[in-house]
Amino acid sequence: MPEYTLLTALAVVLVVTLDLVVIRTRLLATLGFWLTLTIMWVFQIPVDGWLTRLDAAIVRYDERHFSGIRVFFDSPIEDFGFGFAMVLATLMVWTVLSGRSTRAEQRRPRPAARGEAEAGMGAQGGA
Amino acid sequence: MEPFHYLLVLVACLAVTAPLEWVIGARVYRRPRRLALTLVIAMTPFVIWDLVGIARGHWDFSPRYTLGLDLGGVMPLEELLFFVVIPICALLTHQAVLRLGARLRPHGRLADEAQRLGGSPATGSRRGEGARRA
Repeated sequence: MPEYTLLTALAVVLVVTLDLVVIRTRLLATLGFWLTLTIMWVFQIPVDGWLTRLDAAIVRYDERHFSGIRVFFDSPIEDFGFGFAMVLATLMVWTVLSGRSTRAEQRRPRPAARGEAEAGMGAQGGA
Repeated sequence: MEPFHYLLVLVACLAVTAPLEWVIGARVYRRPRRLALTLVIAMTPFVIWDLVGIARGHWDFSPRYTLGLDLGGVMPLEELLFFVVIPICALLTHQAVLRLGARLRPHGRLADEAQRLGGSPATGSRRGEGARRA
């Protein structure tokens, strides 16, 4: 299997596993993710096309290292797997971080909880 | 104009998605720390993948359509910016989808996801937020 094809398949399996099994953000089970992905893929067609169209290619792909299947404006089909992995990875990390910061925000306005909060915060201190 | 071809498409992506933050109220740019951390954590593997792709000859970049500012002599500046711009577009789209969905159907599935994933009230643009929350 060509290397870009193989790496794309690995990346897709990896992000799906992280989302469903390891981190359990479960974005793949949400309507919002699939709507977002659909919108991103639709916009990827002209944007990626602008980068890959063979009459004025900005990014030049070596035919030996991908499936050879080009879609829309000469974009390697693997690019859409790359896009899927990028979108899912980004939303996953954002989701994990927003969970953390939500807990911090909830803790701040309650003076009673400050003692315990500060105990674990070390040099960062209260305020 | 040709050296700006790559940069221009990135600027276009930011311009097209900007209303999602400032009109729909996505609150992505207004969480700069979370945004920066998300970009570093989520995109580092993809930048490494890109560098591997360059090193293995999977792809290269046309000097005609890029500025010629190659980071470390291998990756055009625009290519690194790609890994900043596209995830921002994805975050703005996701937040906008959740917010619009929640506004359209306040008890619908997207409203529920906005509560769970957004970590803040789903409805409300910048201006209306305080009033609606109170």
